[in-house]
Amino acid sequence: MAALPRRIIKETQRLLQEPVPGISAVPDESNARYFHVIVTGPEDSPFEGGLFKLELFLPEDYPMSAPKVRFITKIYHPNIDRLGRICLDILKDKWSPALQIRTVLLSIQALLSAPNPDDPLANDVAELWKVNEAEAIRNAKEWTRRYAMDN
Amino acid sequence: MQQLFFFGKHTISNTLNIYIKTSNGSTLSMNLNPQWDIKNVKEIVGPKLGLQPEELKIIFAGKELSDTVIIADCDLGQCSVLHAVKTKRPVKFDNSGVFSEELEDVGSKPLCETLKDLSNNEDLPDNNQQPKAHFYVYCATCKAMKQGKLRVRCHFCKSGAFTVHSDPQSWTDVLESKRITGQCENRPEECENILNNTEPTFADFYFKCAEHTSLGEDDEAVPLFLVRSNVRSIPCLACGDVCNPILVFPCLEGHVTCLECFNVYCSSRLRDRQFYQHAEYGYTLPCPTGCEHSYITEVHHFRLLSEPQYAQYQKFATEEYVLNAGGVLCPQPNCGMGIIPEGDCRKIACIGGCGFVFCRLCLQGYHIGPCDLPDPDNTDRKDCDYNVDPVRASQARWDEASKVTIKVSTKPCPKCKTPTERDGGCMHMVCTRSGCGFNWCWVCQTPWTRDCMGSHWFG
Repeated sequence: MAALPRRIIKETQRLLQEPVPGISAVPDESNARYFHVIVTGPEDSPFEGGLFKLELFLPEDYPMSAPKVRFITKIYHPNIDRLGRICLDILKDKWSPALQIRTVLLSIQALLSAPNPDDPLANDVAELWKVNEAEAIRNAKEWTRRYAMDN
Repeated sequence: MQQLFFFGKHTISNTLNIYIKTSNGSTLSMNLNPQWDIKNVKEIVGPKLGLQPEELKIIFAGKELSDTVIIADCDLGQCSVLHAVKTKRPVKFDNSGVFSEELEDVGSKPLCETLKDLSNNEDLPDNNQQPKAHFYVYCATCKAMKQGKLRVRCHFCKSGAFTVHSDPQSWTDVLESKRITGQCENRPEECENILNNTEPTFADFYFKCAEHTSLGEDDEAVPLFLVRSNVRSIPCLACGDVCNPILVFPCLEGHVTCLECFNVYCSSRLRDRQFYQHAEYGYTLPCPTGCEHSYITEVHHFRLLSEPQYAQYQKFATEEYVLNAGGVLCPQPNCGMGIIPEGDCRKIACIGGCGFVFCRLCLQGYHIGPCDLPDPDNTDRKDCDYNVDPVRASQARWDEASKVTIKVSTKPCPKCKTPTERDGGCMHMVCTRSGCGFNWCWVCQTPWTRDCMGSHWFG
């Protein structure tokens, strides 16, 4: 396997030394491009109190192409589908090599605070979020309690 | 003792072989000691032209060099050309006291000493603290990026015996013609006559490779003006390291990458065929952060790619050019010849290539009647006379397997017909082919509409 680029080494060191509040990202022991990520549900959101597991992979031509990120923990969110795939522009066409693992994870955390039902990935969730927000938030809290709080 | 001999050997080559072009058209070849000054040169050249040393001007790279300039400070290389012309200044030989004083201020330092680092920004104030200019060029002789040397000649008669009125302040001054005025010392009357004195004489700037011995005055190199020396220690936007030299993108923000990351950026975009065929600049890329108006205008910068990658770049660029011009690429494996057919004829022969005759619409062998795409499920022939192991046979087909795979797993973009695979997500497709970007529906194979969104967005 090719040597790990210095940028990845530096980003990893910084993630471990100065972690982002509410986010932990640890590289896999056998693959330094694969990160085990835990994001805590933001305060004042239906995901508060939950610990959400994600996987993050840095492709061969990172940072020229975006990291691949997916929720492993089930989550009721209009921009995250049942396979955990995330609808976030900076992971697709708005990716720029000036962004980092850190900024990506912060954006994902922000997406939990501010769901965007107008640009949905999970259609049914988005629909409910628009017509009956209260019920959608109840569902999100219920899913958080059921899937993101067990240890 | 042996080592001493080696040292001795090295000092022998410590002279510069220089050509001196004179105003009467002759060229002198001279060996100069780099420690000499211009006064020494004049003393040698003068008698050969039948002139007093004081009657001579030595011109190099747009500057009349003053007597005290040391040869070694002039970025002269082996076989460089100096110009010697007769000065028009009144020279008083008898009155030696006045004479020496008059000549004191004549001439200047060489251009490489006075020129400051050029920026893209013309408004930058003239700052004496700015570092000296460094240039990078693509040298066709060395086949690589090298340090470059800036040279000056007359815009009209192309003679190097030309002095500039001022140093260029920005890259625009260097790259665009008729920005810096000067004085042609070759045949000034002629150049002024061409112009009928309606406009001043202008300088032409060009570059030479600093690495190899000059092959003459036509031996030019292409300036890679986005490659700069990292005088402000800007970190690369991709790897974060402070490198030197760097590539500065032509966006307003002037985003910076190191050359290694530029290479990774280009090869990654090349692999995904995401270069853009720009009508004016050619096959190019914008700033990696997606800034507006940031296309690389000088495609020689892609010479920074490795040889095989550059060959691929040229291949893709040619293919995109052919397709954009309404042409087709020969579908025969390992051919891919670009053909620009005349008129609307459906029958195309790969003339000059493999000779294959094919249908323009379905890219299969030419046929009479409507295109009949074979059903991928119905490819096996029942009336085979031989007993052939079907597994063997399936492995021994000439590129058939990939054709079938492409046919089964892809749908063509409704606009550009590029076979497209859907590897997950919703039914909203955005064509990934550079320059297309068409929004279409995987189910309907038509433009993406609100109805598609309502009825089968997610299948």
